[in-house]
Amino acid sequence: MISVSGITKYYGTRVAVDDMTFDVASGRVTGFVGPNGAGKSTTMRMMVGLARPDAGEVRYDGVNYTDLLHPARVVGSVLDARCMHPGRKARNHLRALAALSAVPVARVDEVLTDVGLETAANQRAGGFSLGMRQRLALAGALLGDPEVLLLDEPSNGLDPDGIRWLRTYLTAFAARGGTVFVSSHLIAELAMFADDLVVVGGGKLIAAESVEAIIGRNESIVVVDTPQPDQLRHLLAERHIRSEQVHGQLQVHGASLSEVSRLAFEHRILVVEITEATKSLEETLLEMTSSSAEFASA
Amino acid sequence: MNAMTIPTAHPHRKSRTRSQDTQGIPAALRSEWIKISTVRTYAVLLGLTVLSGLVTSWATGTFVKDEVLLAKEVFLYSTVLTSIFASITGILLFTSEAQHGTLAGVLTSQPARWVIVVAKSCVAAAAGLGFGVLGMAAGFGGSLLAGLDVGDTSALPRIIAWSLVFTTASGVLGVGLGMIARNSATAISGLLVWSLVVENLLREFLDASVARFLPFNAGNGLLSIPATNDTAARKAVQLSSIENAFVFGGFTAVAVAIGTFLLYRRDTN
Repeated sequence: MISVSGITKYYGTRVAVDDMTFDVASGRVTGFVGPNGAGKSTTMRMMVGLARPDAGEVRYDGVNYTDLLHPARVVGSVLDARCMHPGRKARNHLRALAALSAVPVARVDEVLTDVGLETAANQRAGGFSLGMRQRLALAGALLGDPEVLLLDEPSNGLDPDGIRWLRTYLTAFAARGGTVFVSSHLIAELAMFADDLVVVGGGKLIAAESVEAIIGRNESIVVVDTPQPDQLRHLLAERHIRSEQVHGQLQVHGASLSEVSRLAFEHRILVVEITEATKSLEETLLEMTSSSAEFASA
Repeated sequence: MNAMTIPTAHPHRKSRTRSQDTQGIPAALRSEWIKISTVRTYAVLLGLTVLSGLVTSWATGTFVKDEVLLAKEVFLYSTVLTSIFASITGILLFTSEAQHGTLAGVLTSQPARWVIVVAKSCVAAAAGLGFGVLGMAAGFGGSLLAGLDVGDTSALPRIIAWSLVFTTASGVLGVGLGMIARNSATAISGLLVWSLVVENLLREFLDASVARFLPFNAGNGLLSIPATNDTAARKAVQLSSIENAFVFGGFTAVAVAIGTFLLYRRDTN
């Protein structure tokens, strides 16, 4: 398990990460989401010792990253997919990393096969597409057969097949007991395979919960299309159920679809259409982080 | 999900000791050797070293007719350029990692940053030594091609040894400059402007007793190449080879020490 405790990072007087505390559980995929400038990349760099926190610490089952005996065998990280010399062949890039981590060189071809780059092993990385670079960067992270994967926007540049492959790979990795901590701005994509979410905004932690718990925060709304909205509103108000009329439809808060439809039926109110609307995870997260978005759309 | 700490006995999650860091040096050396031998830039720099050695000594032997030249002197002329190529190699060993983002992978694989500095310095020193040997060999070949006599070779081993100290240290100096600048263009242009322009100007304006302590003045002093514009005053206060080695080595050590300090202090992208 990864324990992030009170990490804080200042750039000059601006606080990039503000007293962030959360855990990342083993055997689960944890998504790390937040708008641009939320402090995701800075947090991830602090998690692998590339940036020094001004306060707080990150521990991997009780040990600081920089103190790990074999860091590459505990944590595999991809924080930037462009992290390769353009003039060096893919295999040689991995050979250099393997040598530094004292990983057997035979592992190089294994990970190249794992990420589907075996045919490009002798090509220079400068000619790689962003998707191929992502795969090569991931191969580098997998070299030490780590227990933890820390990936910053790993699906950037991947084609739909590549994204599906990555999702399957990470899910299987977690199913084998591995820990996956993955940041992405593609919330819908994360929603498909993340078990837990760490939501940040403006450098602060907003939530660290399971996906189900975050979706469960949503209040469902029952939307009723009826020619007798005033009668139905009156009945709802008697039962202390809030409702409002929006675009000619009645939106009912705090009641289930079956409750509202039964009420209408019992009082002979004509209902043309009745539906239950729940916010998507994406809408929920956008709402959660909207106040902290540094670069919000107009 | 509150923070908690679970002590563990997992073999990879034990804390490292300083001696275990030291044991990581051979692995770091192997990694640096793979890096330097798998990018064409360094082969090009080696080729330029050999070419400049060959052309400089051949051209000098062929076209300079107003003085008696011997191969035992002329073969060294290109070593000034060799030391610059060695420094550029040292610079690129670090700056190419910083600029292409591979430094993050290096520092996450080996968090003891001093191990990386040691490995890069050793590989840069080996490159400087190799460049020096091949540059001088090419210089000798060029001199012989130009038809120069070899001359008395009794002092040659000592001259070659001090010249190799210069090219070897130049490679390490490059690593220090690379760690300080982090950017190839900044570090290389800084090196060239300082060594070829600023120091020559300072030599003209500073008192000879001070100018002798300038880094490349001391480094070039190791080459035993008589400077045509040396005044009697300068000759009188010239440092011995061992003193020149200490001055140049001192600047190299300071550059590496500052670079190492900055490597620990700065965040890595």
